[in-house]
Amino acid sequence: MAEVNNNEVLLKIENLCQFFKMGRMELKAVNNVSFEIKKGEVFGLVGESGCGKTTTGRTIIKLYNATSGNVYFKGKRIVAGTRSYKDAIKAKRIEANAAIEALDLNDPEYTAKKDAIKAEAQAFISEQRKLIASANFDHNNCDKEYAKEQVALVKEKYAKLLAEASTEEEKAELNKKYRADLRKAKKAKIVTQIQMIFQDPIASLDPRMTVKDIIAEGLIINGERDKNVIEEKVYEMLELIGLVREHATRYPHEFSGGQRQRIGVARAIIMNPEMIIADEPVSALDVSIQAQVINLLNELRQKMGLTLLFIAHDLSVVKYFSDRIGVMYFGNMVELASSEELFAHPMHPYTKSLLSAIPLPDPVYEKKRKRIVYNPLAEHDYSVDKPSMREVVPGHFIYCNDAEEKKYKEELTK
Amino acid sequence: MDKKLEVRDLRISFKTQNGKVQAVRDINFDLYKGETLAIVGESGSGKSVTSKTILGILAGNALVEGGEVIYDGQDLLKITEEDFHAIRGDKIAMIFQDPMSSLNPIVRIGRQLTEAMILKGKQRQKSSRKDFNKKLKLLEKFIIEATANNSDEEKAVSKKVDDFDKFEYKHLQLEGAYNVAYQAASESIEELKNLIFELEKNAVLPKLVDNRVALILQTAKKAVSRYVVHSDAERYKELLVSVKAESKLVKESKDCSVVIAQLKEMLEILQTAVNYVQPNFFAMGYYLTFSDKELPEMSVTELNVFLRKYLDDNFMLDFIALAKQGIERSFFNSLELKKQVIALIDEVLPVFEKDVLDKTECNNAVKQLVNLTEASIDRLALKKDSVAYTFGVALKNAVKTYFGAEAHNKKQTKIYEQAQKKYDKIIAKGETPDWQVTPPSIIDYDFAKANIIKIIKKLKDNYLLAIDQSVSFKFDEETVAMIDYLKSKAAGVVHKVTPSMAKHRAIKLMEEVGIPEPRKRFKQYPFEFSGGMRQRIVIAIALAADPDILICDEPTTALDVTIQAQILELINKLKAERQLSVIFITHDLGVVANMADRIAVMYAGKIVEYGTSEEVFYDPRHPYTWALLASMPDLDTNEKLEAIPGTPPNMIYPPKGDAFAERNKYALKIDFEMQPPMFEVSETHSAATWLLHPDAPKVDPPKIVTERIERMKAKGGSLDG
Repeated sequence: MAEVNNNEVLLKIENLCQFFKMGRMELKAVNNVSFEIKKGEVFGLVGESGCGKTTTGRTIIKLYNATSGNVYFKGKRIVAGTRSYKDAIKAKRIEANAAIEALDLNDPEYTAKKDAIKAEAQAFISEQRKLIASANFDHNNCDKEYAKEQVALVKEKYAKLLAEASTEEEKAELNKKYRADLRKAKKAKIVTQIQMIFQDPIASLDPRMTVKDIIAEGLIINGERDKNVIEEKVYEMLELIGLVREHATRYPHEFSGGQRQRIGVARAIIMNPEMIIADEPVSALDVSIQAQVINLLNELRQKMGLTLLFIAHDLSVVKYFSDRIGVMYFGNMVELASSEELFAHPMHPYTKSLLSAIPLPDPVYEKKRKRIVYNPLAEHDYSVDKPSMREVVPGHFIYCNDAEEKKYKEELTK
Repeated sequence: MDKKLEVRDLRISFKTQNGKVQAVRDINFDLYKGETLAIVGESGSGKSVTSKTILGILAGNALVEGGEVIYDGQDLLKITEEDFHAIRGDKIAMIFQDPMSSLNPIVRIGRQLTEAMILKGKQRQKSSRKDFNKKLKLLEKFIIEATANNSDEEKAVSKKVDDFDKFEYKHLQLEGAYNVAYQAASESIEELKNLIFELEKNAVLPKLVDNRVALILQTAKKAVSRYVVHSDAERYKELLVSVKAESKLVKESKDCSVVIAQLKEMLEILQTAVNYVQPNFFAMGYYLTFSDKELPEMSVTELNVFLRKYLDDNFMLDFIALAKQGIERSFFNSLELKKQVIALIDEVLPVFEKDVLDKTECNNAVKQLVNLTEASIDRLALKKDSVAYTFGVALKNAVKTYFGAEAHNKKQTKIYEQAQKKYDKIIAKGETPDWQVTPPSIIDYDFAKANIIKIIKKLKDNYLLAIDQSVSFKFDEETVAMIDYLKSKAAGVVHKVTPSMAKHRAIKLMEEVGIPEPRKRFKQYPFEFSGGMRQRIVIAIALAADPDILICDEPTTALDVTIQAQILELINKLKAERQLSVIFITHDLGVVANMADRIAVMYAGKIVEYGTSEEVFYDPRHPYTWALLASMPDLDTNEKLEAIPGTPPNMIYPPKGDAFAERNKYALKIDFEMQPPMFEVSETHSAATWLLHPDAPKVDPPKIVTERIERMKAKGGSLDG
């Protein structure tokens, strides 16, 4: 595994919440999840099905609108939810009303005090409203802002070049290039730098498009019109993922499962992304083919310096592949640590139960293995002391309350 | 150990537009009672086809080209569809890969669980009646042969057997009624507990109390009439009246303390009633049928002793002695005939060993052999001798193939020539056809002859073994087993599966497979269940008929790790409890380690490695097994994974040599030219690779595999312990 030495944070997720409406109820698919992904590292996200791993990934690339919380990519806010601010406003209003009711009506300074409370509440609320407005603006306009920047960059670059150009022919040539680049810059989106690989290679490829169409689709949407360029790039990608040029004109059903997943990978990397969200890319594949895809992702990562968010439920694959791992349980992140640390010292009872469920190719060990059952009601007492995400030892975060933090700390420093 | 299922030389192909796909090529394995056999391989290696063949649910374009699947003295490939109805689902059940697509989304879970039970109920009643009558008649015949000298004695024996028949049914009726009462009692106990709990927490509306109480009392009524006899009966009757009265008063007074106290007392009476010793219904049935007296008044324990003694003195001891004599008679009869069969085989074998067989001579010999073998089978024996039972059909088929070979070969050659002509025409036009000419399947005379001799020799070996073992045969055990068998068959006749009974059984099954609140869940639809729960339902449906063999076709592939572990534990538990034989099909070797007693690794329709799970994991020999092990990461893997390059071969044109040779970096030259036979590594372990040939160069498994094995041994798991 390549060591990640730099500390540049590529993706930062802050108190991300994603709720879905289910009738009158709300399903808290992702609840208050925070983590950071550094440049060049592989971050694994594990947990059982339905715990919100995939939802987290999809919210990051804005397939869903986040309910609350922020996502920063390269320092820019790309996802912002407003629920937390709205809740704060509501709470403030209730607090202010209660304060006013508590005042003595016969107090000579009653009106003055009341006004003071009102004014203070109003100030707080207007501040929150500003935050909401800015969140909404960032969430909706981050791509536009990014495109503006890109356009400015292109203009600057060509202004210089055009000024230096001497002959008419050269100028015409440059102008042509300039227009193409400008068009691409106008269509640029910051989110395209994060690409996704989906779980099911059969369902995620359009059966009526050829491999070339599928891979090139992203390029065309982003304003590339030169057929030669597109073709060259597609061939380059095919070779990169271990297929040959002849495959470009075929349809997805002519490929085996592993090859199909490779096409999915090619489609993601043709946009030259900085980060890839791989959503269970090997779960639907045979064991022998899983290894092909994992090796491919590993190679690409080294060649292109990719950052990966690797979502899976197969812990042995995640352990093999990831630098750091976050464990999710029912919408909450319960433990986060480097992969060696997590497997050497699993602390949270859910992590322990998850680790005890991994099957290994070792019959004698397997027959002795005892699975730990996780029952959150029996394990924790959160009635008084509310839990939160805490850094128990450097780099090892656990979702716990004060008493548990103390216990974990003792165990870890032992 | 008992062999439950034998698969011999199974060959299956599929007709497609492009040619014949050879899905399964000559595979052999045995399945013993209470063990798990895992079949591991990539998709398309023929795992699922094998399991579907066993269950007789192959697709329409499948072609069974040869082989045998022997279960319970029958060759499943040759029996009719009607006969298969009694086996499929009843004796051999299957769990499919995707729980969502194997459940009907618009039918409630309960209905789906009980459907098969009710449908199978009638079938089972019929077949049980048939089996019971057949066995009892046979037994009677042999007892008469063995003991009776004149017609009077014959009559006495017949009467005894008739008596057994009669009171057997009486006993089952009694027990059935008892079971219904028991279920009613346990149901009302549960309801009572709930009601008391809710009353104590004040969670019941006062005006609803009397309604609830009345409902429970109605259920309890069934239980009480048969159950709460003895001293508690009087008190119970008193309680019944007062509870009814009190519960009506709650409406006005809103005070339910009195009701609670009385209900608690009632609960106690019911609970003690349920915990009573079960009466011996078998003996009671005899007493009630033949003594013409009422049951004496005494406690259940005393009653059991009394009834047992009455039964033994008057009937059972005699009957057992008689039955033993009958069984002995039948056994020695068949043993004598077996010796004759061996003599006959020695006599007629030269007929089949000639260079060219004579048709009339052969047919005569076959007739003699088959008739004598049919007679020599011990029909009374509970353990069926599959070789002898299938001998007739197999031999006739083999001889027919030999003599039909000429016509068959002519036809095949003609078809081949026509196809070749067509192919040449297209070539002559300058086009390239997108199909190839499949060579004709010519029957080889020598091979067909060898096959006939093989079948006969197998029977001979089998009979020689049987004669050897006859000295140590235990007749007492066999007699007891016979009576138990008759009892269970009679139970099958009497137990008519009504919808309400099916519901009770379904709920019990749901509890057994670990579904909480089965009564509530019973009424839900499949989409209301999570993936793991759905798979549990599928397992419960498969277990509904109490099968001998359970085939699991990738039952956990669609589930995640924790649920997978739960399902595997469940299958293991059920296997141990019910002595099931399991065939477990998967592509994930990690899953198998926990489950399997033995493992068969399949590739391109062949078993390439076969051994106990320890042997396959700690001492793998075939390069494909190495590759499978090397391509999966475990928690300690850090180096680059070794993926298997390429794809499995196209099975329309299977490679001439080893199918894995092209993807195998250890492939020898001979691998491309000749198929390797199975080389034995140890008694239980064999692998099909030329690397095991004594002349082959020594090759070590890849480093990643050897290292892992070292690591596993260091962890405490090893062959030596």
